[in-house]
Amino acid sequence: MRAELSTRLAERHAILEVVRRLLIDHLGVKRDPDEIDPDVPLFGSGLGLDSIDAVELALLLEEHFGVKWQDDISARASMRTVNCVVDLAVVARGAAP
Amino acid sequence: MTLAAEVGALRTSAGVSRHDHVRLLRVTGDGAFDVIDRVTSAQLRVRDGQLLHTLMLTDEGHPMADVYVGRDDEEFFLLAEGPEAVELTAHIRSHVPAGADVIIEDRSSTHAILAVDGPYAWELLGAAVDPEIIGLPYLTFYHREGMTVFRAGKTGEYGYSMIVPRADSHALHARLLKAGALYDAREVSLDALDHCALENWFFNIRREGRAPVTPIELQLQWRVNYGKGFVGAEALRSRRAERPSERLTTLVADGPIGIGDAVRAEDARIGSIVNAAYSDIRGEWVALALLELRWASPGIAGLTIVGAAGEVTARTVTPPLLMNRSLSVSPQLHSYLTRHDHPAPPLVRR
Repeated sequence: MRAELSTRLAERHAILEVVRRLLIDHLGVKRDPDEIDPDVPLFGSGLGLDSIDAVELALLLEEHFGVKWQDDISARASMRTVNCVVDLAVVARGAAP
Repeated sequence: MTLAAEVGALRTSAGVSRHDHVRLLRVTGDGAFDVIDRVTSAQLRVRDGQLLHTLMLTDEGHPMADVYVGRDDEEFFLLAEGPEAVELTAHIRSHVPAGADVIIEDRSSTHAILAVDGPYAWELLGAAVDPEIIGLPYLTFYHREGMTVFRAGKTGEYGYSMIVPRADSHALHARLLKAGALYDAREVSLDALDHCALENWFFNIRREGRAPVTPIELQLQWRVNYGKGFVGAEALRSRRAERPSERLTTLVADGPIGIGDAVRAEDARIGSIVNAAYSDIRGEWVALALLELRWASPGIAGLTIVGAAGEVTARTVTPPLLMNRSLSVSPQLHSYLTRHDHPAPPLVRR
C-alpha cells in the first residue's frame, strides 16, 4: 500500500478509536471497542442512541474535533453511522475523508 | 413497471409490497423465551409490543436467518428472512430442551404480510388503515381489527407492515393501492426492496448473507451479545479472538459490477463483490465487497473491479448512499399533497 494512503488510513483509524471511546465513555454504549463496527447505525436499531444522545454526540464532536453544525437536518443526516461521524471528524481536521 | 420506477416510488412517495419472502412463526409455551434466546444472537430484551432485530446463526457462526422477534404478552412471533418455514421450525425445535413446553406454529400459510415503505408511507396508511399508525414508534406493533401492524422496514424510509389473514390480504392490498393513487404510490417488488436495502446498507440475507462469513465481517455485531450462550456463539468468539481478515465495505463504480467479481488494488486481489446493482438515483453502480481489513475503509480511490464485463474503476465510500427523504419529512408537519411547499434536500450529496 502506498505510504500516503497508509498514513491517511492510519489517521482515520485513530479517529475511529476516539469515536468508539466517546460512545462508550460518554453515551453509555455497553460494548467493547472492537464490537462497535464502523458502519453500525447509531440511532434506532444499531447502537440504539436516541435524540438526547444525538445532541450530546454533536457537542462531543465539536469539542474533540472542531466539527461545526449548519442545521438540525444536516446534523441528523451526518451522524447516521459511526463511519459518518468519523467522516465529519476527518473533514473538520482538514484532511480528505 | 421498471425497477427504477419502483425504487423511485419508495424513495419519493410510497411503495406497497407483499412480503411472501418473510416467514411468520408463533412460539408459545413456558419454554418459549428460553428457546428463542438460545437460537438468536442478540440479547432477548424485548417488552410486550416491541420488536427486536436479531439473527439466527449456524453452528459455524454464519447467518442463517435475518429475524425480528416480537413479544406479544407471553407469546412470541418471529418474522424471518432466509430459510423456508419448515427448516426454521425444525431448527428451533432441535434446540428445545427435553420436556420443555414449547409450541411452534407456522403462520406463513395462513397469514400474509403486506408492507408500505416510503417517505409518505405513514400518510397512505393513516388514510387507508388507521390514523393511529402515524404515531407508531420504530420497532413496535399493535393489534387492530384482526391485523397486527408493526413499524420496521429495510429501505431507509418510513416502513410499516401488516400481518393479516390470507383471506383478507387481497382486499387490503387492493385498498392500499386504491388509496395510494393519491400519493403516487406503486406496487413494488422484492427486487426493489433489495435495491433500497443495498443503497441504505441494510443487511440482505439473500445476497451478502450467502457469503461464508460471520456477523463480525458483516458488521452486524450490534445484533450479537457475546455474554450469552446461543447457537453459533462459540464459533463467533473464536473468530473474534483470531481477528477477522476481511470486512464488508461499500463501493461505487463507473461501470457494471457483478456478484463474485474480483476487487484489486496495486496489482493484487484484495476482495470480492457480494452484492451489486446500478443505482439510478446516484447514476452509478453501487456494491458491497468483502475486502481485506487494511483496505476495508471509506475514501480509497483507484480500485479495479474485474468481472465478466471487463474492468471498471471503483472507490470505497461511507454508507448510507442516500440522503433519505424520510429524514426531512415529518408526519406532524408535512403531507405528500403539499410537498412542493417544503422542498427536500437532494437525495444524493457528492
